[in-house]
Amino acid sequence: MASSHSDSAKMEQIITEFFAKSLHIILESRTPYISSRNFGGEQIVSSPSSSSSSSSSVRPRDKWFNLALRESPEALENLDLWRQSNLEPMVVDVVLVKRAIKWDPANFYPKAELSKNLSSKELHSNCWNSDQEELGNERSEKIIERWIVQYEVRKAKDAGKGSKRSSSNILSSIYKKLMLLLRSLYLTVRLLPAYKIFRDLNLSGQIRSFSLAHRVSSFVEPFTRREDAEMQRFGFAPVDTSCGRLCLSVLYRSSLSDVSSEPSTPMSPQLIPDYVGSPLADPLKRFPSLPLSRGSPSSLPFSRRHSWSFDQFRASPPSMTFSPSPTHSEPYASASNPRSCRFPPPGLPPHPPEVSHIHKDNVSFDEYYPSPTFSPSPSPSPPIYVPGSHVSKALIRSESAPVNIPATKFLNSSMLFKNQNPPPSPPLKGTRYGPSVADKKACPSRDGATVDKMSFVGRDDIGRPSGLKISSESSANISYSRNSCRSFQDDFDEPEYTCAFDVDEDDVTDPGSRSDLFDKGRHEHDPLQSGSFLPIRKSPDAAVGALVDMLNKAPPLHQDVSNLATASQASRSDTWSNSFHEYCQTPKAISAQDGTSSVASSALLASKTTADALEELKGYKEMKNLLLSQGGTVGHRV
Amino acid sequence: MNCEVCHLKELEVEHFEIREVVRCILHTIIFHRALGLVRPKEIDLELFEITYVQCGDLEVEKKIEEKIEQFIGWVEKHPNKKSQICLSFYEVKNKQVSWFSKQMERIYWEHWHINLNVAQQPKVHSVKSHNSKVVDTGENTLEERSIRRASLEASLRDVLFQIIRFVNDKKEHVPPIPSREGVISFPYEITIPSSSDSAFGMDMIKRMLQTGHPTMLS
Repeated sequence: MASSHSDSAKMEQIITEFFAKSLHIILESRTPYISSRNFGGEQIVSSPSSSSSSSSSVRPRDKWFNLALRESPEALENLDLWRQSNLEPMVVDVVLVKRAIKWDPANFYPKAELSKNLSSKELHSNCWNSDQEELGNERSEKIIERWIVQYEVRKAKDAGKGSKRSSSNILSSIYKKLMLLLRSLYLTVRLLPAYKIFRDLNLSGQIRSFSLAHRVSSFVEPFTRREDAEMQRFGFAPVDTSCGRLCLSVLYRSSLSDVSSEPSTPMSPQLIPDYVGSPLADPLKRFPSLPLSRGSPSSLPFSRRHSWSFDQFRASPPSMTFSPSPTHSEPYASASNPRSCRFPPPGLPPHPPEVSHIHKDNVSFDEYYPSPTFSPSPSPSPPIYVPGSHVSKALIRSESAPVNIPATKFLNSSMLFKNQNPPPSPPLKGTRYGPSVADKKACPSRDGATVDKMSFVGRDDIGRPSGLKISSESSANISYSRNSCRSFQDDFDEPEYTCAFDVDEDDVTDPGSRSDLFDKGRHEHDPLQSGSFLPIRKSPDAAVGALVDMLNKAPPLHQDVSNLATASQASRSDTWSNSFHEYCQTPKAISAQDGTSSVASSALLASKTTADALEELKGYKEMKNLLLSQGGTVGHRV
Repeated sequence: MNCEVCHLKELEVEHFEIREVVRCILHTIIFHRALGLVRPKEIDLELFEITYVQCGDLEVEKKIEEKIEQFIGWVEKHPNKKSQICLSFYEVKNKQVSWFSKQMERIYWEHWHINLNVAQQPKVHSVKSHNSKVVDTGENTLEERSIRRASLEASLRDVLFQIIRFVNDKKEHVPPIPSREGVISFPYEITIPSSSDSAFGMDMIKRMLQTGHPTMLS
């Protein structure tokens, strides 16, 4: 009895020491040591001998489980708790502490402070405290490992089970198993991903934006389901004792790439809005007043720019430099409406150019659909085709698409932008174009981009905000895209266009050239009296020509001779073209209003399809014939 | 006493990786079986981002290095062959062979089989037909190498965890800790393929004499 009592006392002590040792092992490799590298570090270099265990003083604690460890004040601090009762589980949470970054070295927490134990209150929420980013200097914490050491007491009836065997044998066997277990633990701790963070923190002298902390408690704070899903579990085989078993397990995050991959580059969504649209990313941009608009120290955008442009945005500059020509910046540039500043810069940096352009083309694609109503040609096929060509071209050349499309986006989704719901680039959503972006009304940084675009888009001698005329523009785009190859050569002989067209053909068709083109088309077609030339071979614009031609050829309503008829034809065609001009220019007149009016005007126009016109013409013709015959007969009678 | 056998996952290694990989595995196993007072020594692998632990015993280190040398020699002699290194733990018992002679008997209680597949060394020089091709393959191999390296690292990690699991799951067969001094509590032996056949040394010398084989000389 006495011996069994002493055995159970020994057992208890073993268990206690096991708790202590495992805690020690865990914290030893999770608590960054600040300056002094303890013997572990030096030993690697200098004293590899096994006898070093005797030479370097063997502390009594080392003898437990025959495992000599570094002194770890943290472990000792926490040990007292567990000396009292073996029945409570020991939960060691290893916490990755990130500093939400303000690059202010003065505020930077020293590692020592970070690695202190966190109070449980601080740690109350397990995951990143700042999932929805809070303000500046908050630090965010994430539990990356949870070690649970637990002694499960068996039910009383099993307690005496092992008593037949010599209890000292049992004890030594348990002790041996615990030694093995602790050695496994020692190794495992170093194989888990968190160890890399620990090492990074120790090896490099530089200040990190993150550190490790730990919390030791006796209760398990449940993880959220999401956290749970992110955790992997490694359970060590429990060691049975005479009246229970010792369990050791760890939950750990298998991926800590967010930290380890860029240890010294602070990543926080907060700084992104500041970056986005920063003209610094694009050397070609003009941004006169940039620094003034920033509340943050000027060093801020710079450091970020480097990190960002290095990381992800290498691809973006090309898309933003689409308008190198100085001509674009002139009158129309200055005309840029503050509102237009709100939509994101044309070459939305966050996504690769291809993506953004595809997206933009999609937008324009949508925009094209209304166009068939504008097209004199009843056949919808050309408009459909055009977007396709746009897309394919847009993939090749990155410069053009932004010219047309962002305007489109602006028209349709300016509200969205205000709501911080920018179109593509899902991961960056809301944060990058977040409030800070949307609310900066006259942000000069974006001006640079916008201006370029607008000067291009708004080239149609109107100088109004490009966004407003989109619907008309897109239709115009369709109407002209087919013959553009022919017409713009003439139209764009002007020097200021050459540059634009060097950049991209497609854009040419969109912007200002519209009315010019139309005139051109008319002039070209007018002399050709034969209707056979015009039809469908060249789609929309040709169709317009066809219509005009048809009007020309239509017999006059007059009873006059053919000479007179031609004159009236001319005037009629002029009316048509005038109406087109009108339609083209309406947006200018209503530039202060929103798109609806232009839509209305275009709808007006739209009602006149070719078919309608034909019908009308036929009606006129019949009426004329009727009148003529009647007049003839009447006159004859008279 | 039963003898447990653990076959570790096969690793595809290149020649220059043999040393680190084998060293890491052997030390890891032995660390688990070094039940004397041990002052663990952390080692960071150079080729991989892995830290493993040695038991800090000079003798062990020396023995392991020796065996690795032998193994590499064997690999050079037998290229493109899967190879196995075996680490065995045993107890020594006196066995009465006859009335008058006693013999030391090794009673093995654990075998660890380290399986390696040493890949042929990349022959960059063999592809010289096209200039552009050479460049191409060069880039490819670079990329491939890093991929391969990463996968080997993962596999090595797996193997280390396999060792940990095995150690955890099988504890009953580990003999009681003998009360002997030192870190290493159990005798062990490391066998490499050719060391088992006694003719190895002779064979090598013969070859050198006969052919003056360059690989041997170097």
